[in-house]
Amino acid sequence: MIDLSSWLWPGAGLGLVTELQQVWWYFTLSLWCVAGIFSLSFMAQSAHKGRYWLFFCLSFAGNMLLIAALDALSFYIGFSVMSLSAYGLVVDSGSKAARRAGRLYLQLAIIGELLLFAALVLRASAADGQYDWQSWQQVPLDHLTILLTILGLGLKAGFWPLHIWLPQAHPAAPAPASAVLSGAMIKAGILGLIVFLPSGDPQLQHWIPYMITLGFISAVFGVLASLVYRQPKVILAYSSVSQVGYIVVLVALAWTNHAAAVLPVLMAYAAHHAVAKGALFLYAGISGKQRLPAYWQLLFWGPALALMAVPFSGGAAIKTGLKSLLSSDLLPGGLNAEILTTLLSVGAILTALLFLHLAVALQRQQREYQHKADPGLALYWQGACVVLLLLILIWLPWYWQPMLQLSQYTLAWSKIWGLSWPLLAAVGIFMLGRWQQWRLPARYYDRNSPVLAWSLRLKRLYQPQRQWQAPVFKFNWRGIERACNRTATGSVVGFSALVILVLLVLITLWQYFA
Amino acid sequence: MSPFWLSYLPVAIILSSLLPGLIIFTLKEQQVKLRISLNLLGVSVKLILVLIMWQAVKAGDIFYFSLPFLPGADLVLQGDALSLLFVVLSSVLWLATTIYAIGYLENSPLRSRFFGYFSLCVSATVGLALSGNLVSFLLFYELLTLATFPLVVHRGTPQSLAAGRRYLAYTLSGGLLLLTGVALLHSVVQSPQFIPGGYVSAVVSEHAMLLKLAFALMIGGLGVKAALLPLHGWLPQAMVAPAPVSALLHAVAVVKAGAFGIIRLVYDVFGVDSMQQLQLAEPLMLLAAATILYGSWRALAQQDIKRRLAYSTISQVSYITVGVAMLGPLAAVGGLVHLVHQGVMKITLFFCAGNYAETLGVHKIRELNGAGRRMPLTSAAFTLAALGMIGIPPSAGFISKWYLGLGAVATDNNLMLMVFVLSGLLNAGYFLPIVYRLWFLPQRGSWPQEQRLSASLETHWMLLLPMLFTALLIILMGLFASTGVSPLSWAQLIVEREFSYD
Repeated sequence: MIDLSSWLWPGAGLGLVTELQQVWWYFTLSLWCVAGIFSLSFMAQSAHKGRYWLFFCLSFAGNMLLIAALDALSFYIGFSVMSLSAYGLVVDSGSKAARRAGRLYLQLAIIGELLLFAALVLRASAADGQYDWQSWQQVPLDHLTILLTILGLGLKAGFWPLHIWLPQAHPAAPAPASAVLSGAMIKAGILGLIVFLPSGDPQLQHWIPYMITLGFISAVFGVLASLVYRQPKVILAYSSVSQVGYIVVLVALAWTNHAAAVLPVLMAYAAHHAVAKGALFLYAGISGKQRLPAYWQLLFWGPALALMAVPFSGGAAIKTGLKSLLSSDLLPGGLNAEILTTLLSVGAILTALLFLHLAVALQRQQREYQHKADPGLALYWQGACVVLLLLILIWLPWYWQPMLQLSQYTLAWSKIWGLSWPLLAAVGIFMLGRWQQWRLPARYYDRNSPVLAWSLRLKRLYQPQRQWQAPVFKFNWRGIERACNRTATGSVVGFSALVILVLLVLITLWQYFA
Repeated sequence: MSPFWLSYLPVAIILSSLLPGLIIFTLKEQQVKLRISLNLLGVSVKLILVLIMWQAVKAGDIFYFSLPFLPGADLVLQGDALSLLFVVLSSVLWLATTIYAIGYLENSPLRSRFFGYFSLCVSATVGLALSGNLVSFLLFYELLTLATFPLVVHRGTPQSLAAGRRYLAYTLSGGLLLLTGVALLHSVVQSPQFIPGGYVSAVVSEHAMLLKLAFALMIGGLGVKAALLPLHGWLPQAMVAPAPVSALLHAVAVVKAGAFGIIRLVYDVFGVDSMQQLQLAEPLMLLAAATILYGSWRALAQQDIKRRLAYSTISQVSYITVGVAMLGPLAAVGGLVHLVHQGVMKITLFFCAGNYAETLGVHKIRELNGAGRRMPLTSAAFTLAALGMIGIPPSAGFISKWYLGLGAVATDNNLMLMVFVLSGLLNAGYFLPIVYRLWFLPQRGSWPQEQRLSASLETHWMLLLPMLFTALLIILMGLFASTGVSPLSWAQLIVEREFSYD
């Protein structure tokens, strides 16, 4: 731990003190590193290489800083550096769609930033000038601060209904950038929600049922929305919305007094999703550029199956962990455990549907390329990056202590069946849908989101072509002066003397009576 | 420190720029080297003297110099912590601006006149900062008006003459209001020295109405220079002046003089207690808040770079007033430190605007597309200062906004916190599109009037160096705000002294 409080502000420091920070640090670091290695080859032909790397490194630094921060201000610095420089990654391609998405991203990033600023100010004054997490844990929250924090950080975390920038920005960015946007930066918002809002706070308990509800809405909404899009990266972005929904449920559970039981599952979920989603985005990037040999699909199915929670995968472990949390007695009052576990099963079916849908979309994309590209060094380099993430994904559930316990728990037959039937159901539904040709009318597919129109309207608001002008009064005394001169022909001196005399008399009278 | 120094150092600080200024007036146009050396000599002497004074004031010395002037009101110069804040700001930025102006006005006519008035202007500013009572403040305030007018009309074009007329009309009427207010107050309590806690508390109950009237008149007078809401009209016009003048006007001399006057008036003439008894703070705060939002809102629609910056100044300077008017120690720290931070950030922005105008001939925002490639250093400095203005950490602007925010919450003004957030959004709304044009859009056609001012650098080194220096300051002041040499720590020292009088 590095103590900077003598240099910077009281409580300033960097270090990986809690297990939460360590886990976040390692999975974020590995994802960024792999994305960086991937970019070396993937972005080699890019027109603005220097710019790309500048923003890549800046947001990398910001992301790592906010994780290692031991006080709120360092977190905020890292958060803003990361958020703002990620704009450069989103608009990297310079296409119209990227610029539109970038605008929306930046608008919401700035709004989120300022909301978080207000929350921090409120919190810092409550904490009486201390900025380190320990002191903040002691200070009770109030509803306004909670609201501002959830909005400010939620805009980065991207759960429903704060997700609106996500399906625009992630597909627009180049593949490695979307991987870190989706894998690492979203998690920064989640991390903030955990460290800013101390568990067990009495006011916070009122928010837990609502956040759990929001999480489930987000989980379901993400999948349903993804089904009407056919671009692989858009589907992946909606999948992130859906997965973040589950993470939000876990965050809300971590706000109860039983944080110790929830945090391991939460960390496992975040790390697992980061690595898997990173691998999928990288794969989508490769597959969107050339026709790949058929066996490369393994690189897709690896992470996809893990997220679908097939038995023996990391996804299975965390889904089971989440389920046991929801059915245990640490749920706050007002929530029915049975409904929630049913929802979880429905969610598993939906998640599986999403990835089947994604597989079809990727196939369709591949068919557009007529000729097989001859796999050169670049392609293998990029493939190796995905393999690296895949290896981490396989390693995680069986060698990493918190997840190992969860994984061993899933080895019973009943658990395996519990995990398998939603998948089988999903495959069944999907096949049925393909066979029966279930389709919505064509106009419902690949629609432009209305948020782009809102973003444009907002832009017109802050870049007005015309604005109300203050009226300009122009006094021209010359005419009046001339008129006066005309009336006072003859003795100007005498007239002036008269005026002065009258004034003097008036002043004297006023003095006399006052 | 010996009594001799204690009384004559303030005079020496004023003379260190006044004398070179007066000599420069007598120089011929061609005596470039002599003029430059005189200028730089003045700056260096002043900086050294200010440094000595700074150390002494930090140790607790009080500088005092007085000269009989009016019955009941001597001409008093005093160096306390608050005046030092402004003196240091103006001398450091004067150094930067002098170098910039030498580079900017290279080979242009009437430079002796320009630099003469330039020095006078700084002398008046420093005098205003050091003045120890209202009457001497008024004197330097009027001198400042007169010294800046020739700078505003320096170019002599019809447009700048019109702007100069407007400037004079506004500031002279403002001066008149201030004079009336000072006279009124003088008739009630005389004009003793500025003192933490104010000197009107004895007569508050007796002359409440008169005091309120005097306060309103003086705020009216100071508000013209500080560009408070209905009185801001001259500022966007005055941007036709050459870039170094605008930089000085916006960052140091005129606008800041008004804001500094408001600080003096609230803390050292009326004092926090009397302000509360007379209920004067609330209206002032609301007026300043309205100015913040109005200025930012008007800045959105401006298409000229310097005009947009001018409206931004209107908005940003009112942060100082808001901080002062909230009457809490934390808010006061925020307001005082913003006096410095805003100065450094705004001067950087104006330097950048001047560089674009001088090197590329660009005056309009839409012509800036792709300027980041042609002038990377200038654009980087502009970006940094713009982010600072929005309040992105770890820049200096974040520190002042942070303390203003803390102050707002501490004095139960959650409304003001909302104003700061809203204004931050508006700031982003008018600064980020410029930054976007600089870096992300391709250049459109050739530059309007490109000049090669340097063989290897993007522009003349004298235009580059001051800008980089101030841009560096923005980061340093933000990052090392808690160290002993930062403006923040100085503002905290002032507030400690101002709020611990009882």
